[in-house]
Amino acid sequence: MTRSIEFWTTIATALLLGTLGVLLSVWGNPENSGICVSCFIENSAGALGLHDNTNMQYLRPELIGFVLGSTASAIAFRDFQSRGGSAPLSRLFLGIFLIFGCAVFIGCPIKLFLRLSAGDLTAVAGVAGLLAGVWMGLKGLARGVELVRQDRGNANGGHLMPILFVLLLVFLITRPGFLLFSAKGGGAQYAPWLLALGAGVGLGALAQRTRFCITGSIRNTFLMGLRVPAIWGLLAFIAAAAVANLATGRFNLGLYGQPGAHLEYVWSFLGMGLVGWISVLIGGCPFRQLIKAGEGDADAGLVVIGMFIGGALSQSWGIAATAAGVPLYGKVAILLGFASVACGSLVCRDRT
Amino acid sequence: MCKDSFDKFCWALLAVALSVLVAVLVLNGGRDNKSGSGPNKALEREMAYYARVELINKLYGPVDKLRSAGSNQEALLKLDELNRKYPGEAHGHILQGLILQNLGAPDEAIASFVEGIRLNGDYVDDKSPLSRRREIQRLVDTSAKDITARIAANPGNRTLAGQLQKINYLKSRLAGGCE
Repeated sequence: MTRSIEFWTTIATALLLGTLGVLLSVWGNPENSGICVSCFIENSAGALGLHDNTNMQYLRPELIGFVLGSTASAIAFRDFQSRGGSAPLSRLFLGIFLIFGCAVFIGCPIKLFLRLSAGDLTAVAGVAGLLAGVWMGLKGLARGVELVRQDRGNANGGHLMPILFVLLLVFLITRPGFLLFSAKGGGAQYAPWLLALGAGVGLGALAQRTRFCITGSIRNTFLMGLRVPAIWGLLAFIAAAAVANLATGRFNLGLYGQPGAHLEYVWSFLGMGLVGWISVLIGGCPFRQLIKAGEGDADAGLVVIGMFIGGALSQSWGIAATAAGVPLYGKVAILLGFASVACGSLVCRDRT
Repeated sequence: MCKDSFDKFCWALLAVALSVLVAVLVLNGGRDNKSGSGPNKALEREMAYYARVELINKLYGPVDKLRSAGSNQEALLKLDELNRKYPGEAHGHILQGLILQNLGAPDEAIASFVEGIRLNGDYVDDKSPLSRRREIQRLVDTSAKDITARIAANPGNRTLAGQLQKINYLKSRLAGGCE
């Protein structure tokens, strides 16, 4: 395995993801949120006027970079292929619940491990939840729960998401008057935009080549043990982030006083459990959905649209957790998410 | 993708639409929304926020004056009156916390800060004109040291455990994060 190019490119991607995940915080992003797809989506949804939390509005360049970096890499390596048509509406709704799960935990799977590598022990409940969720998803797959197969062809509209993100890039550069930017709170904390965009493009391109994904790494490890490069990638990501946190003086081991964290472990577990389960069903974590949307996957594009809706609703409906804890609507959203996934698994199961 | 007349029509339409779009943007570039001709929500929102800050300073100004003059008891009485009038306003809780801190009641001050920050996180945000981050940070630092010793001396005391929870909440908010 160590002789394959795939192994070393995965390790390189993971090391870069871990290092930049911390460095982007050093350069201005919120604490432990150097890279957090769900936070970035909530921020960007706010910047586009989709919610009114004035502390969470900023069009994150990293998000644009992930998609456009993936597109550039897919085109350069002749990987770009328009495809879609696999349960689009189900994926849209799963995208919404994916962000609800992240909002209740406070972070996507990437941030989960960034928090852990910064010494935030409250994230342990999230790790357990993510493992359990991926395991549940795999159990479902093994018993025939599967969204229908994709079609290939331009009619699927796989090129629309890259075009949408080019438009967002134009918005970021020209800053039209309808775009909203926070003057305070997490949305007002950001790395210099060119640096953030460059980091996003680089990571997007590498992730497109390696197919690196947090939940995918866990899924593959459950399936094939330590023989897959992805798990070594995940470990390299955690190690790189921990070293970067220690080197920049951001390592603070403990349960209390952690940035962007709460002490409701059961809900952290359930939030990440929902994210893990959904990620297995739709073929990747929120980060991977962005990368797939960039390489022409219209189904992943619909998940991304769902994530934007979810990001907006998390803020508008008071679903997102804060340091004070998980609000009632956050708990309701998680339970509805599990109910929906359970119903979907019953309906979509191939019993033949 | 240019087989027949319909293809040609679509290509022509695309070229015309994009050319006109570029022309419209270029011609109106100097009269962008930023100059006020369009929906500049950001500016409107900032104005509303600063108007709110002004109003808060005006409403709670007398309390602040009394506090600065050292008349803490009178300031508390005045604040009580304002808190009854505006029960959902965080500023009252923050001022109450500052006064109680001056009066040497750190536990009660912490409780007031927690209530205020739960209502409005601007008070721990450096970028907000309402920020009282430095004062809150100072109190949290001293209280955190003190509470550990008190809990060690009185293990199982629920009041102290609750107080520790409040201090931890403030520490978490002061640490930052994306919210």
